[in-house]
Amino acid sequence: MSVNPRLARLLEHPALWRGRSAARVPTWSTGYPMLDAGLPGGGWPRAGLVEILTPQPGVGELHLLVPALARLTGLTPARWVAWIAPPFEPFAPALAARGVVLDRQLVVRTHLPLWAMEQALGSGACEAALAWAQEARPRDLRRLQLATERGRTLGFVFRNLAAAREASPAELRLSIVPQGEGVEVELIKSRGGSRERIRMEIGGG
Amino acid sequence: MAPVVPTSGPQPVARRPLPAAAAAAAGDLWLAAHLSAPAPESLLERLAAAAGEITPRVSLEPPDGVLLEVRGSLALFGGVEAVCKKLRTAGRRVGVQVRLALAPTPLAALAGARAPYRRGRSVFRVMHRAELVGALAPLPLAVLRLPEDVIGRLAKTGVTEIGQVLRLPRAGLARRFGPETLAALDRLVGAKADPRRHVTPRERYRARREPSYELTNQQAITGFLTPMLAELEVFLRGRQGSIMALECRLHHREGAVTRCRLRFAQPTFAAAAIGFLLGERLATTMLAAPVAACELVSSRLVSRQSASAALWQPDEHGGNLAHEAPALIERLRARLGEENVYGLCLVPEHRPEKAWQRVAALRGLATAANASGPQPVARGPLPVTARRPLWLLSTPLSLPAGDIWPHYEGPLEKLAGPERIETGWWDGRDVERDYYVMRSRAAVQLWVYRERHPPHAWFLHGVFG
Repeated sequence: MSVNPRLARLLEHPALWRGRSAARVPTWSTGYPMLDAGLPGGGWPRAGLVEILTPQPGVGELHLLVPALARLTGLTPARWVAWIAPPFEPFAPALAARGVVLDRQLVVRTHLPLWAMEQALGSGACEAALAWAQEARPRDLRRLQLATERGRTLGFVFRNLAAAREASPAELRLSIVPQGEGVEVELIKSRGGSRERIRMEIGGG
Repeated sequence: MAPVVPTSGPQPVARRPLPAAAAAAAGDLWLAAHLSAPAPESLLERLAAAAGEITPRVSLEPPDGVLLEVRGSLALFGGVEAVCKKLRTAGRRVGVQVRLALAPTPLAALAGARAPYRRGRSVFRVMHRAELVGALAPLPLAVLRLPEDVIGRLAKTGVTEIGQVLRLPRAGLARRFGPETLAALDRLVGAKADPRRHVTPRERYRARREPSYELTNQQAITGFLTPMLAELEVFLRGRQGSIMALECRLHHREGAVTRCRLRFAQPTFAAAAIGFLLGERLATTMLAAPVAACELVSSRLVSRQSASAALWQPDEHGGNLAHEAPALIERLRARLGEENVYGLCLVPEHRPEKAWQRVAALRGLATAANASGPQPVARGPLPVTARRPLWLLSTPLSLPAGDIWPHYEGPLEKLAGPERIETGWWDGRDVERDYYVMRSRAAVQLWVYRERHPPHAWFLHGVFG
C-alpha cells in the first residue's frame, strides 16, 4: 500500500497527535519490560512531563525510575538529574549501587518547587528533573510541560493520588498503588496508549 | 630684561646626545590625562583602573594626572583618536573631565595636558622626539611644576616659556637653580630616562558608593548597583581576570550591614550576568532599613579562562552541557541560597548517615572525596548483599515500641533483618544498631533500626521508596 509521501511526511511530524497510533516519540526504556510494553513509544518520553500519583511517598515510585536514571546519567556527555524538594534525603550509596552516576545529581531544597522545576526543565542542563510538588495546579503543570519541550528534558512530578480526579496537561500520568509484594501501575493518561493496569514486582533492595 | 641667549660655547639643554638608557625608551609614546581640579588618590586610582583596558602601563601623577604609555595600543585600537576617545569615555565613567596630551616623554605629555588650549588644536600631540622641543617651546614655564622659587627667579630673568629655559647654558642652569632643575629638563626632552612605576592591579575589587538619597526598595538598589557592576567589569577586563565570588554590602544609617554573598559556579566577569544574579538575591533579601551606601567586595581575581565556542548546536549531541549547567546552578543558588543546592558523593563508611556527603554542585567526585572534614577511616565497599533504601531520613525518627516490632502509622511487619551495623568507635560517635526491613500498614517498606544499648529504642532511618 502506497501512502502519499506528503501525507507520510506530515504524519512523521512530532507535534501531530494521532489517537491510538504508534506515535513515534523518542523514549528511554524504563528498565521494566512489562512497563515498557504499556507505555507509548515503549518507555519514558525523552522530553515531556510525567505525573506520578501515589497514595503516599515511598510506595515504590523511585524504584520505578532508578533504572532509567542510571541509564541516562551514564551517557557521555551526561546531562544532570535534578531532585527538587524531595521528601527525604536521596541515599547516595543505594543510588550508586544501582548504577546512578552521583556527580550528575543535583539536589535542590526549596519551598518553591514549581519555580525550581521550571528552571531545571527549561534550562537544557538536565536530562531529567524530579519534583515533589503536591500543590501543583493544572496551569503550573502546563508551564512545566512547555518547559520540558524547551529544554528537551524528562520531567517527573510526584503528587498524591487524590489529584487523579483533576485534569492534567501532563503527557503521561500514572498511579502507583502497592499490591501485595509488588505494585500496581495504572496508566491514567497516555498519548496513544490505553488506560490499563500493570501489576509488577519492583525494587528488591 | 632680555632673556639670556647663549651664543656659543656651553651646550644648551635641548642639544645633548641621547644616553643609551633614554634611547631605549625612545619609542615610548605617553598619553597624559589632566584633571581640571586636584582629586583624591582614590579617584585617580579608579581612573587608572578604567584606563587599564587601554594599556597595562598606567601610572598615577597625583594630585591631578594619570599617565599611560600607549605606543603599543595605537595599532590595537586604531590610532590616536580612538585611544583618546577611549580614555575620555573612561574618564566620564569615573565622573571626571580630562584634558589629554601625547608626547614621547612623560613630563612633556603632562606639560602639554596642563597647558591651556591653543587655538585650533584641542590636543597637544607630539608623535616624534624631533618635534618635541619645538612643540614645548611656546608653553608657559608654570606647567612644568618646578619649585616656586625656581619659577620666580627664572621669571626675574625674563624666562617665562619652556623654550627660553631650554636655551639656557647647562652649567649655569645647574649652578644657579640646582641639579634637580637640570635633571627635570633633561627628562622633559628625553635626554634622561624617566622610569615610571606602573599601577599594579589590585588583587580584589572593592568599591563603596553613597547615593545622594537613601534607597528604599530593591529596584532602586539594583539601579544604583548597575554602574558599579559596569565598573567592576571594566576593572576585571583590565586585568584579564574573573571572580568566583562577590559580596554586596548594603550599609544602613544605623544597625547591622545587610550582606548578599554571591558565589559563582564558574569564573565570571560579565556585569550583566552578575547583575542578574544579584537581582535574584536581592529580591529575596529582607531590608531592615533604607540603604545609605552600597559596597562591592570581590574575591581574589582568577585569570580569565577564555571560553571556546561549542562545536555542536544546542540541540545536537548534548552540545549545550558546558554552559547551561553552571547557569542553572547559579540561578538556583542565587534564589534559594547556596546551602539548598548541592550534589551527592560517597564516603567509604558503614554508618549510613556518614556514607554520603553533600558537596557543592559542579565539584568533581574526586575532590569531594578528599574534602576536608571527617576523614573516612573505614575502607572497602559496602556489603553487596545488604539492602539499602533509596531514601534516608536526615535525622532518624523515634518510633514507639509495640509488642515485638515498633509502630509507624500502625503496627509494622518484619520482612528482613536484623543486619548489625557496629562501627565508629574511633571518633566517639560509635553506633551499635540492628537494622530491619519492615512494611507499614500502607505497604511502604521502611528501614528501621534498634539501638543495641539500653533502652533499645527504635528509629526509622530510611524508606525504600
